[in-house]
Amino acid sequence: MTAPSHPLFQAEALRKSYQLGAARIEALRGVDLVVRRGEFVVVAGPSGSGKTTLFNLLGCLDEPEAGRVVLDGVDLASSSQADKTLIRRRKLGFVFQSFNLIPVLSAYENVEYPLWIDGVAAGERRRRTREALASVGLGDRMKHRPDQLSGGERQRVSLARALVHDPLVILADEPTANLDSKTGAAIVDLLARMNAERGTTFLFATHDPSIIERAPRTVRLRDGEVISDQTRGPR
Amino acid sequence: MTFAQIALRNLARNRRRTALSLLLIGAGSVALLLTAGFIRYSFNGLREAIVHGGLGHLEVAPAQDLQASPLERSTFPSFAEWEQTRAQIESVPHVLAAEGAIRLTGLVSRGDRTVAVMGLGVEPARERRMAFEVKLRAGSYLPETAPAEGEDVVVLGLGLARALGAQPGDLVTFTALTADSTLNAYDMTVVGLISTGVQDLDARFLKTHLTSAQRLLGTGSVSSLLIGLDDTARTQELAALVRARIAGGGQALAVADWESRATFYGQVKALYSGIFWFLGGIVFVLVCLATSNTLLMTILERVREIGTLLALGTSRGQVAAIVILEALWLGLIGAVLGDVVGFGLASAINAAHVKMPPPPGAASGIDLGLVLAPSDFVLVGGLMLVVLSLAAALPVLRALRLRIVEALGHV
Repeated sequence: MTAPSHPLFQAEALRKSYQLGAARIEALRGVDLVVRRGEFVVVAGPSGSGKTTLFNLLGCLDEPEAGRVVLDGVDLASSSQADKTLIRRRKLGFVFQSFNLIPVLSAYENVEYPLWIDGVAAGERRRRTREALASVGLGDRMKHRPDQLSGGERQRVSLARALVHDPLVILADEPTANLDSKTGAAIVDLLARMNAERGTTFLFATHDPSIIERAPRTVRLRDGEVISDQTRGPR
Repeated sequence: MTFAQIALRNLARNRRRTALSLLLIGAGSVALLLTAGFIRYSFNGLREAIVHGGLGHLEVAPAQDLQASPLERSTFPSFAEWEQTRAQIESVPHVLAAEGAIRLTGLVSRGDRTVAVMGLGVEPARERRMAFEVKLRAGSYLPETAPAEGEDVVVLGLGLARALGAQPGDLVTFTALTADSTLNAYDMTVVGLISTGVQDLDARFLKTHLTSAQRLLGTGSVSSLLIGLDDTARTQELAALVRARIAGGGQALAVADWESRATFYGQVKALYSGIFWFLGGIVFVLVCLATSNTLLMTILERVREIGTLLALGTSRGQVAAIVILEALWLGLIGAVLGDVVGFGLASAINAAHVKMPPPPGAASGIDLGLVLAPSDFVLVGGLMLVVLSLAAALPVLRALRLRIVEALGHV
């Protein structure tokens, strides 16, 4: 995995809570986190520890109650909803636990979608889409709809979709949770290869010990707080 | 890839539900088309019946007479230069003929029975050239040549003949006021019985030859010239030409088209138009509510998908566009289906020659016919697109209000 460089994300004292019935749930209680370009960071913690909430705030999908997120030098608090839409479109890539592919689009069209809504020219779109699908080993499954693909293939399409527009960072929220261990390991290998070969920054939420064990950097959350932030040396 | 393609594919996801929506929209379109077709058929039929029933496409008369209300119109013929004017008018292209006509009021007697009547003095030869329709029920119609004095003839409305107990061949006495306010009476032979199509009018209507009417009233003038054209659609164009042709004569004349004189037609048109828009309103509301509910269901089933689209950087406007395009596809396909089925049904109904009972006040039944114009298909299609756009409003609002995180977590 590549050596980290400049700060990409700076999260400072992030707080977020939810109303659940009569109870107020503190999902994040003052989280600080710095992620540098090219890093592969695993955010680990049990269910309810605040991983998804943290990813939502970093991914411009939700607003913190307190604290701030700076992405690539831009304070997200000062960005409008339209700006955030463009940030998500151009600077971020998402890989979801349930793949979240658009069922009416083929594998090719799902991957092409981020380029299409960003107005990339057709020729360029075609080239990058084919490259992205080939890079995840699905060059021969382009015309298939999501319901014609296996779970592992769907997640690889999802990964190709997250990569195709060359984002600054890919936020992968438990991308192996719905896969068997062998397929999950193959996906993690693929992400690690992307990180090593393309220098893509990854934030990877999981509570799978086998993945945490391999991670160069692991940030552990519990009850909405960072309880450890460990970086391993290269193996 | 386009949003329209995505919207179309979304509709194909639940084919049964989409088919039901299309059925509803198509049925609504068919209902509106058939109603519009029947109304147009009725308008056309009524228009031609009025024009060829004796009103003519245009009427030229002394201005003070034609521009007055029906109650204020002179009962005595005052159009003196009518023959010169007729020559001018009949030289206008597309004018079939111009008939001198006299409106008559008076009393008709046979034996001890006397009935107050209204009638017309007409020129049968020119009526024939103008394709005026005569519903002859017995005997013969007025002769085309002017009758000699003492050989005057008359045709009576069916109801009037019944009231007088008269048959063809009987003699009746027609009494009317002359220009100097004296009473004049002429014996006339009944040659035929006619129907106007309106029972109340049949009970007091008669027609005689213009020459007989002029003799009865002691005048050489007519009330007006009734003009027949070869195409009703050109009425306004030819009215302007006739106005130009007769301008500058010694007597101030005016030209009126058939529609301005046919108040009954205007009332029927207003009534039928009201019925069409009332029915259209009901269809509008039904289709709008049903399709809005269907579209809302499709949104609720795709909450997480919409959340994904937003997370990937799709703007809320683009999400709204997808929903609106789904609605417009439904409207377009449904309207096209409705147009095709409506056209087929209209053709089948026309071919079947279904007979309808007589309308209120009418003496005979009518054929059920449907006349569809290209504008009907466009109107109904456009109406459906408007309905579906409105139906999409609530689902679009629902989609726009989704919070991305909640949408992504939706199960």
